[in-house]
Amino acid sequence: MSVSETNSAVSPKTSTPVAVWSQIDASHAKITLSGVVNVYTLGGVWTQIKDSQNAWLANIPASILPNASLVFDASQVTSLDGAGIAFLIGVQESQQKAGAKFELQGLESRYQPLLHEFDPISNLFPVPVVKPKRSFVVSTGMAMQNLLDDARGLISFTGHLAADLFWSIRHIKQVRWGDFVNAAVEAGIAALPIIGLVSFLIGVILSFQAAIGMKQFGATTFVGPLAALGIVREMGPLITAILLAGRSSAAFAAEIGTMTVNNEVDALVTGGLSPIRFLVVPRVLAGILVAPILTLFADIVSIVASMITMLLYGIPFINFYNGMISAVGVEDVLSGLVNATMFGVVVSAMGCLRGMQTGTGAAAVGISATRAVVSSIVMIVLVDGIFAVISYKTGF
Amino acid sequence: MSTPVTAPISPYAIEVNNLTVGYGSNILMKDLNFTVNNGEIFVILGGSGCGKSSLLKNIFGLYQPLSGDVLIEGQNITVAQGAERQKIMTSFGVMYQQGALFGSMNLLDNITLFMQEYTQLTQDQMNLLARCKLDLVGLLPYETYMPSDISGGMQKRAAIARAMALDPKILFLDEPSAGLDPITSADLDQTILDLSKNLGITFVIVSHELASIYTIADKVIMLDKAAKGIIAEGDPRVLRDTSTDPMVRQFFNRITTKDAV
Repeated sequence: MSVSETNSAVSPKTSTPVAVWSQIDASHAKITLSGVVNVYTLGGVWTQIKDSQNAWLANIPASILPNASLVFDASQVTSLDGAGIAFLIGVQESQQKAGAKFELQGLESRYQPLLHEFDPISNLFPVPVVKPKRSFVVSTGMAMQNLLDDARGLISFTGHLAADLFWSIRHIKQVRWGDFVNAAVEAGIAALPIIGLVSFLIGVILSFQAAIGMKQFGATTFVGPLAALGIVREMGPLITAILLAGRSSAAFAAEIGTMTVNNEVDALVTGGLSPIRFLVVPRVLAGILVAPILTLFADIVSIVASMITMLLYGIPFINFYNGMISAVGVEDVLSGLVNATMFGVVVSAMGCLRGMQTGTGAAAVGISATRAVVSSIVMIVLVDGIFAVISYKTGF
Repeated sequence: MSTPVTAPISPYAIEVNNLTVGYGSNILMKDLNFTVNNGEIFVILGGSGCGKSSLLKNIFGLYQPLSGDVLIEGQNITVAQGAERQKIMTSFGVMYQQGALFGSMNLLDNITLFMQEYTQLTQDQMNLLARCKLDLVGLLPYETYMPSDISGGMQKRAAIARAMALDPKILFLDEPSAGLDPITSADLDQTILDLSKNLGITFVIVSHELASIYTIADKVIMLDKAAKGIIAEGDPRVLRDTSTDPMVRQFFNRITTKDAV
């Protein structure tokens, strides 16, 4: 008997081979395990042994394969952990699959019960399941179905919300005013700095861009009225709504989403309380209150920014003011504020809806927050479009 | 003066010296001293809210103790920093009370995550190892499930499997059998006994389940909120039958507070 091939693997940590492959003859081979065999020392060694075993099994003619045997000698092992047991099982499974023999020698008796924990070992090697690929028609149908479900959810939520808002008007004392104040402070006062900053910069940029063009025609005087009208009717409400979507809608979705994940919403339902009345109504009312106020604040800051910018172009405050008064009427400001109120409803309601539609697990809360922002912005644009058409037709 | 990071080789798996546990000025446990032998199943007992989980978190270094030292396999985890601390951290596994599985990964990925970071094994080898761990806790058919798709009891068992990912010498389990059905709980006890006996794994377990404690525990310590320390230590069966402390007797014999007065 001669050792025709020796393949030893050296572990980087212990610098002694924990497993050595030796081929005795064409149909007999041996794996000698020694020292500390654990999840760290097996790294690399396992792959080498596995490759040697596969190459050896592949070279044995099918006729003598049932007589081919591999001896696994574990007599020199000083310590073995779960990874060592898994290694042994891996080698044994390859032998079984090929229809060859496997013999375990010298494994300390204390490790034996661990091997029996995994009977039969074939369970540890499941056949990989190949997921059937979805056809284009099925994918399109499913996407359509999701869209319809979403629309149905939105309509049903709108109905419930309208009913509960109406109920709240009739039972004004039963509205959770504490939650309303918290939401209003969080969505309103806390948002003042960021809305102030963004509107100021938008005011400056808008005026600068307009002034560059208008200067060519010697019409810089008209930048003031132009900017003020744009700000009051469109930019102010839009900036406020988008910032509210990013801040408050996401916050509502995350808060209600976490409550959904923790079964708190279920607890409300089983306690006989309407989650919409309890969680959504105070937040939507807060949205209705703060959105126009924040818009008014954004309008003022933007117009002041525009005034300062135009000063650089030699337009004094008084000229800007007079131009603005002649161009911007009270109905323009009111139109903007009505627009903003609608945005307030949409942004807070979408945040709450997405929160209540949260699935399970921590990741679901993140998904809900993202969906809340995206749907809020889509709804803002939609509402803005509808409002623009109404405004054009009615002249308001 | 605190013990240096590298101490002479310790005969104990864990050594707790004058450990004071608390949050700021709120002291939960004062001057605790105890040792856990290698391969022992050590159970921490005590009423709800007495600070068992906090003590556990102080032992495995998640929280910094107010004073005192914890030596894990002779290494002082309270003062260890950087790579040294990381090395101590990989020598044990932790199962948290709520499971704390990563919600965005399936069970198999939850277990292989730590192997990917610390070992040189291939993905197939890691998957086989992870399946062995799942089989030990009876969850083999659920390897592709997400944590949110399985029950609370199953999440706990999966968390035990994850704690065993790197085959640590010490396992900390925070209420492993709470919320499990009697059969699964008994199976889990048997797995713990097998791992302890056959692989020499040391277990530190926080538990309330008396039946389980009598089956598996080599040694228990009982903590008390009022005493801010250990009121009993030793074999749970002996304590049940011989302790003269009324609190200990009440606990082990499940006597109501009304009857005990």
